[in-house]
Amino acid sequence: MAGSNEINANEAKKVVPLHTWILISNFKLAYNILRRPDGTFNRELAEFLDRKVAANTVPVDGVYSFDIVDRATSLLNRIYRCAPPDTDSGRQPGAGILELENPLSTTEIVPVIIFFHGGSFTHSSANSAIYDTFCRRLTALINGVVVSVNYRRSPEHRYPCAYEDGWEALKWVHSRSWLLSGKNPKVHVYLAGDSSGGNIAHHVAVRAAESGVEVLGNILLHPLFGGEERKESENKLDGKYFVRVQDRDWYWRAFLPEGEDRDHPACNIFGPHGIDLKGVKFPKSLVVVAGLDLVQDWQLAYVRGLEEAEQQVKLLFLKKATIGFYFLPNNEHFYTLMDEIKSFVTS
Amino acid sequence: MSDQFHEQDAGVDELLAVLGYKVKSSDMADVAQKIEHLEGVFGNDDGLSQIASDSVHHNPSDLSSWLESMICELNPIVPVPVSQPFVSGVNYTGVDCVDDLQAMIYPPTKKPKPSSPSTSAGSHTPNPIVLVDSQENGIRLVHTLMACADAVQQDDVKRAETLVKQAGLLAVSQAGAMRKVATYFAEALARRIYRLYPKSPQDSPAFRDLLQMHFYETCPYLKFAHFTANQAILEAFAGKKKVHVIDFSMKQGMQWPALMQALALRPGGPPTFRLTGIGPPLDDNTDHLQEVGWKLAQLADRILVEFEFRGFLAESLADLEPGMLDLREGEVVAVNSVFEMHELLARPGAVEKVLSAVKEMKPEILTVVEQEANHNGPVFLERFTESLHYYSTLFDSLESSGDGSGVMEGGGVTVSSQDKIMSEVYLGKQICNVVACEGVDRVERHQTLSQWKAQFESVGFQPVHLGSNAYKQASMLLALFAGGDGYRVEENDGCLMLGWHTRPLITTSAWKLR
Repeated sequence: MAGSNEINANEAKKVVPLHTWILISNFKLAYNILRRPDGTFNRELAEFLDRKVAANTVPVDGVYSFDIVDRATSLLNRIYRCAPPDTDSGRQPGAGILELENPLSTTEIVPVIIFFHGGSFTHSSANSAIYDTFCRRLTALINGVVVSVNYRRSPEHRYPCAYEDGWEALKWVHSRSWLLSGKNPKVHVYLAGDSSGGNIAHHVAVRAAESGVEVLGNILLHPLFGGEERKESENKLDGKYFVRVQDRDWYWRAFLPEGEDRDHPACNIFGPHGIDLKGVKFPKSLVVVAGLDLVQDWQLAYVRGLEEAEQQVKLLFLKKATIGFYFLPNNEHFYTLMDEIKSFVTS
Repeated sequence: MSDQFHEQDAGVDELLAVLGYKVKSSDMADVAQKIEHLEGVFGNDDGLSQIASDSVHHNPSDLSSWLESMICELNPIVPVPVSQPFVSGVNYTGVDCVDDLQAMIYPPTKKPKPSSPSTSAGSHTPNPIVLVDSQENGIRLVHTLMACADAVQQDDVKRAETLVKQAGLLAVSQAGAMRKVATYFAEALARRIYRLYPKSPQDSPAFRDLLQMHFYETCPYLKFAHFTANQAILEAFAGKKKVHVIDFSMKQGMQWPALMQALALRPGGPPTFRLTGIGPPLDDNTDHLQEVGWKLAQLADRILVEFEFRGFLAESLADLEPGMLDLREGEVVAVNSVFEMHELLARPGAVEKVLSAVKEMKPEILTVVEQEANHNGPVFLERFTESLHYYSTLFDSLESSGDGSGVMEGGGVTVSSQDKIMSEVYLGKQICNVVACEGVDRVERHQTLSQWKAQFESVGFQPVHLGSNAYKQASMLLALFAGGDGYRVEENDGCLMLGWHTRPLITTSAWKLR
C-alpha cells in the first residue's frame, strides 16, 4: 500500500499550495496515530499535540477575544469582537475592559455568528490555533461577533451531546443583552460550522425551528454527512486528498450511539430515518462543497433535500478545493468563500 | 513587548506560525518530505501507528524535529531509507512555494495579508480572559476597579478615592469569587491611594508556609508544580547512582516525599539522595529547616533510601554562594525553584547573580515553576489589569474546588472550608503586593514563559523539553485531585502549563547548560 500512498500524496500536492499540504498532511498523520482500531481515542496525546491559543482582549488586527464559562455545565464559548475603530494605541479601552453592559448597536444590525469548529466530532477545540485564526478572520470579515462553541467531543461524548451543547449555546447567545443590535433590538444570529461543525449547525437549526427560536441563516462549510450507501465520490476519491473512507467510518462509529449505523438521522439527514423539513421555518443555507472532498455526494444530496423541502439554499461548489482550504489565506477558494459569507450575512 | 519576536523566530514561516507551528522557511521542503516518508511508512499499518501512539512526543510546534523523532523511532522497524527520492516531479523551493504547475491551477489572485499576531499586537502583552457567567453581572465592578486603577495611574487622587469607595460598595453586592477578588483588589488600591503600604515583609515565613500548605490542599496548582518538576528531575537522574537536589523553595518540603518514593521504586534500586534545602530564617531563630529535614529522613528510612539533608538559611537566594553548598564529586545535581525566581526581580542583578551561582553548581537540570503572567510591567495600570484577570481566574478555579462541606464531586479529595479560606488569604497577599507595593517591597514580580526563556537563554541555559508522558501523567493527576473540573494541562514550547479552562496560570519549565 505504500506505493499507492505515494501516488496519492502527489495528487494532493498538485492541487494545494505547499503550506496547505503540510498543514493538512500533518493533521492527517497525527490523527492516524490518535485513532485506535478498537474505536478508542488517545485523548491525552491529542491534547498534547493540538496547538492552542489563549483568548486576548488586546486587539490584534482589529479583533479581540475573551472566553466565558458556564459554571453549571463547564461549557465554554469564545467570543470574538471587533475593536472600536478609533482605538488609541497608546491607551486601549478594549484591553481588559469588556463591553458587556451595552448592546452591540442601537441603530445598525450587527451579525452574530455561532461557530462550531470541525474535527469530525473528535478533534480540536474552540481554542485550537487553526480555529481561533479562522474565527478572527470571520469576525473582521462580517464586522460583527463570532461565538465559537467548545462543544463536547466523541468518543467520550457521543450523539447527542454536541447537538445539546449547540442548542444551549444558541439559547445563551439569544439571551445576552450585549449581543443585541438594530433599531428593534434582537440578536441577529447565524449558525456556521465546518465539517462536523456544519453537521451540528444543521441539527441545531432544526431544533431552533421546532422551538420557534430564530436563526437567520446557516453556513455549512463542507459539512459532515453520510450514510450506509457508498456514494460515487467516496469510491472515486477514497484516500486521494488527505481522507480515506475508513477514517470517516471510524469517526461516525465514535460519534453515533453504539450499535447504530450511518443511516442514523444524525448522519444521513434525508435518508430512511430523516425528518421532513417541508413547511418547517428553516433558515436559509449557504452550503460550501469542496470538489475534492470524498463526502461531496452526501453534501450535494443534502442540498437537494433542502431544495425538495422548499427551503432556501445556495450551493457554493469549489471544484478544485480540498478539505481545509480555508485555514490559510493562500488560495483563491479562501477569498471566494469569504466574499460569499459576507454577502450571505449582509443580504 | 519585544520578547514576542526572538532571534530564533527569524526565518520562521509566518503562515504556519499563526497556526502554532514553528517551521523555518528554509525547512519547508524538508518537512514535506518527512511527512511523505512517514505516510509511506504508516501506510495502512495500524501496528506502527500504535507504536507511535505509545511513544513519547516532544515539542510538537517544532514540526521538523517532531517528524524526525518519529522517523527515528520507527526506522529500525521498517527497512526503508530515511530520505526518499522525490517522485512527484513538482519542485518545491524553500522560499517561494508556488511552482509553475501550481501557478496554472492556482493563480494567486490576492496577496495574503501578513498576519502574524506577535508583531501586530505592538507593545502590549496579550491579555487572556476567562469569565465565569456570574461575572457578567459583575462587569460594572470590574469597570469601576479598572477606572480606579486608571485614576491612580493618572495621579488623580480625588477620583481614585471616589472610585475605590464605589468599588467597595459594589463588591459587597456580588457573590462568590467575584466578591472576594474584588475586595482584595479594592483594599490593595486603597492602600496605594492612602499610602498605607503593608509592612515588609508582610508576614513571618512560618505564616506564609502555613498559608501555602492550605493552598496546596485546596487546588492542584502546587501539586502540579511539584509533580511536573519531579518528572523532569527523575528523567535527569535516570541511571545515576548519586544524586543531589538543591531546593530553592524548601518551605515544608512537600515536594520531596513523592520524588523519594519514585526513586525508591526505581528498577535497579534507589540512588543515594542528598537534599539541600534553602529557606529564609524565622523570627524566632529556630532551625525549622532541620525539622523538615528530620521528617524527610524518617521517610527515607522507611522506604530504604540512603538520605542526607542539609538546610541553609538565607534571606534571599541572591545571598547564596555555591562554595557554601558542599558539592561533591560524582554527584548529579538538580536545582529546583518553585515560585521563587520572580522575587529576585525586585533587586537589579539578583536573577543574574543567582543564575550564575546555579551554573557553578553544574546542574544536570534546573526545574523552574512560575506563575504564567506578566505582573512586572513598568506601567501600573497594565500590571493592575493583568493581575485582576489572573487572580479572578485563580479565585474562580478555587470556587469550583467544592463548597467546603465535604467530598468534592468526581474526586477523592476533601477540601475543607478552612483550606479554602486560607488559600484565599494566601492569594490575597499576593494581590496586595502586586498592587500596593513598589521597589524592593514588590516581590510578586511574575513573568511569562517567554520572558523567563529570554533571560535563561541569554545566560547559557537551553530548554529540556517536557514530553507527552509527563503531560499524560499530569493530566491523570488532575483528574484524581480536581475531578478535572476546568483544569487543563497545555504543552507550550516544550514546557507544561496548568491553567483553568483556556487560561494558563502556572508553567513548569526545565533547563540545562548548553
